Amino acid sequence: MKRILTACLALLLILFGGCKKAPEKTGYTVVASFYPLYISALNLTQGIEGVRVINMAGQQAGCLHDYQLQNKDMKTLEEADLFIVNGAGMENFLRKVAEHLPGLTVADASEGYDLIDENPHIWVSPKGNEYQVRSIAAALKAGDPEHREQYEANEKAYLEKLEALCEEMHGRLDGLSNRNIVTMHEAFPYLAAEFSLKIVGVINREPDSYPSAREIAETIELVNELQVKALFAEPQYSASAADVIAQETGAKVYTLDPVVTGEDSPDAYLSAMRKNTDTLLEALG
Amino acid sequence: MEFLDSILRAILPFEWANYEFMRSALLAVLLVTPLFGLIGTSVVNNKMSFFSDALGHSALTGIAIGVLLGIDHYMISMIGFALLFALLISGVLQHGNSSADTVIGVFSSIGLALGIVILSARGGFAKYSSYLIGDILTVQSEEILMLFVLLCAVVILWILFYNKFLLVTINPDMASGKNVRVNLIRHLFSIVVALTVMVSIKWVGILIINSLLVLPAAAARNLAKSARGSHFWAMGISLFSGISGLILSYYLGTVASGTIVLIAAAIFFLTFIWSLRKAGR
Repeated sequence: MKRILTACLALLLILFGGCKKAPEKTGYTVVASFYPLYISALNLTQGIEGVRVINMAGQQAGCLHDYQLQNKDMKTLEEADLFIVNGAGMENFLRKVAEHLPGLTVADASEGYDLIDENPHIWVSPKGNEYQVRSIAAALKAGDPEHREQYEANEKAYLEKLEALCEEMHGRLDGLSNRNIVTMHEAFPYLAAEFSLKIVGVINREPDSYPSAREIAETIELVNELQVKALFAEPQYSASAADVIAQETGAKVYTLDPVVTGEDSPDAYLSAMRKNTDTLLEALG
Repeated sequence: MEFLDSILRAILPFEWANYEFMRSALLAVLLVTPLFGLIGTSVVNNKMSFFSDALGHSALTGIAIGVLLGIDHYMISMIGFALLFALLISGVLQHGNSSADTVIGVFSSIGLALGIVILSARGGFAKYSSYLIGDILTVQSEEILMLFVLLCAVVILWILFYNKFLLVTINPDMASGKNVRVNLIRHLFSIVVALTVMVSIKWVGILIINSLLVLPAAAARNLAKSARGSHFWAMGISLFSGISGLILSYYLGTVASGTIVLIAAAIFFLTFIWSLRKAGR
C-alpha cells in the first residue's frame, strides 16, 4: 500500500512539477474576447514588435451571448497581459475569469459609453467603434508604456480611417427617403441611431431564440402597415424566420453584417461596413 | 400546393389562418402527426421508445457531420448517420450480451456527445439550437411535399407488412416458424423509424421528438380494445394534439412543438385516469 502511495506521489510530482516552471515570457500578449475587438486591437498593435494579439473566441464564434468558456480559453487568458472585453453585458463569463485569474488586467472597451437599452452592440456603428478603439488604445498605453508612441500613432491612423468611413457612410445614406427597417436581432440600434434609420421591428427579440407564431404574425402586420421594404438578417444566423415574413409581405431579405465574424485582416471592419452601406442603399434606395 | 393553401384559406375563417406560415405549419402538422401516431404505436408495442430517443439524439452528430463535410442540406448527412446508427445498435444488440437499454443508452450518449463536441468546437452552437426545440413555423412547401411522400411510403409499407410485423412483435418464434424473416422485418422497421425521425426532427426538435412518438401511442393503449384500433386512436390523438397545440401556441405566444407535446401529455393522463376508473369498476 505504502509503495503504491509513494509511486502515485512520484507520478503526481512528475506530472505537475513540470507545469510550475512556465517558459520564460517574452513580449506583451493581448487577448481580445471576440472578433470586432480583435480587429481593433490588430490595427492598434500593427508593426509593433513583441506585441501579440489573440482572438479568444476565434474567427467563427459570432456574438458571445451564449459563449461557453472552454479550457483552451482559460489557458489563453493565463498567458495574457491584457484582456480586452466588450463589456456592457456581452461577456457573461467575466466573473468566472476574474475568480480564476485575479491578477489579469481587464479592459472594458465600452466603459463610460452611453448605452441604448443596455445593448452591447456598440461597435456596429463607426462612432461606437471609434469609442472602443480609444478605450483599447488607452488600456494598451497604460499596460505597455514602452510602446506608447507607436500605439498613439496607430490609434491616430485607425481613427482617421474610421472617421473617413463614417463620413462616407453619411454621404451615401443621408439622402435615403425610406428609413424603416426590420432586423433579425437586436444588433443594430447604434448603427440605426447614427444614420437615423428607424428600426420598427425586431424579429427575434431575445438573442439565439426563435420567434413564436404570435411574434411572427405581429411582425407581418407591422411590415404591411408601415410598408417596410427590407428585412435584415445576419450572416451568422439562420434567416428562416425572415424568409417566412418576406414570403408573406413581399418585403425582401438582405444580409447586414454586425461584423462578429470574418477574415483575419486589419481592414475587415472597414470593408464589412462598406458592404453594409451598399446593402442598405440597395435595400432602401 | 398553392391549391391546397387556397382551400385552407377559404375554409378556415380564423385570425391565424390569414397567415401563410400558419397554414403551412398546419399542413405539416396534418402530415407529421398521423405518421407519428402510426409509427409510435409500433415503437411502444415493441418497447423501442428508448431506441427512437437515441435516434433523435444522433441527429446532432448527423448535423455535425454535415457541417464538417460542408453540405448545405444537413438532412442528407442526418439520414445517412441515423441509418448507420440504427444498424449499429441492432447489430450490437444481436451479438453482445449487454441488455438493450444499456446498449441503446451507450449509443444515445455517443450520438449526443459527438454532436456537441463537433458543433461547439468553433463556439457556434447557437446556430443549431433550432434543431433542439424545432421550428415548424418556417416549414417550406417542398418540405411539406417530402413529408407527404414519407407518409405515403409508410402507409403503403404498413398495409403490406402489417400482419407480419404484428406477428414479429407478439411472437417472434411463431413468426420464424411461419417463414417470416424476423430480422429483416426488424431492420426494416428500424430504418422506417430512423427515416421518420430524421425527416421531421427539424420541425419537431431533438428534445421532444420522442415525446411526440410515445405519448399518443401510450394514450391510445389506455383506450383501444384491439391492436388495430390502437393505431387509429394513436393517429387521432396525435392529430388532435398537433392541431390544437399549433393553434393554442399562436394565441398564447408559446413554442409550437412544446405546446403540442404538453397537450399530448394531458391527453395521456386523462386516458390513464379513465382506464384506472374502468379497471376499478
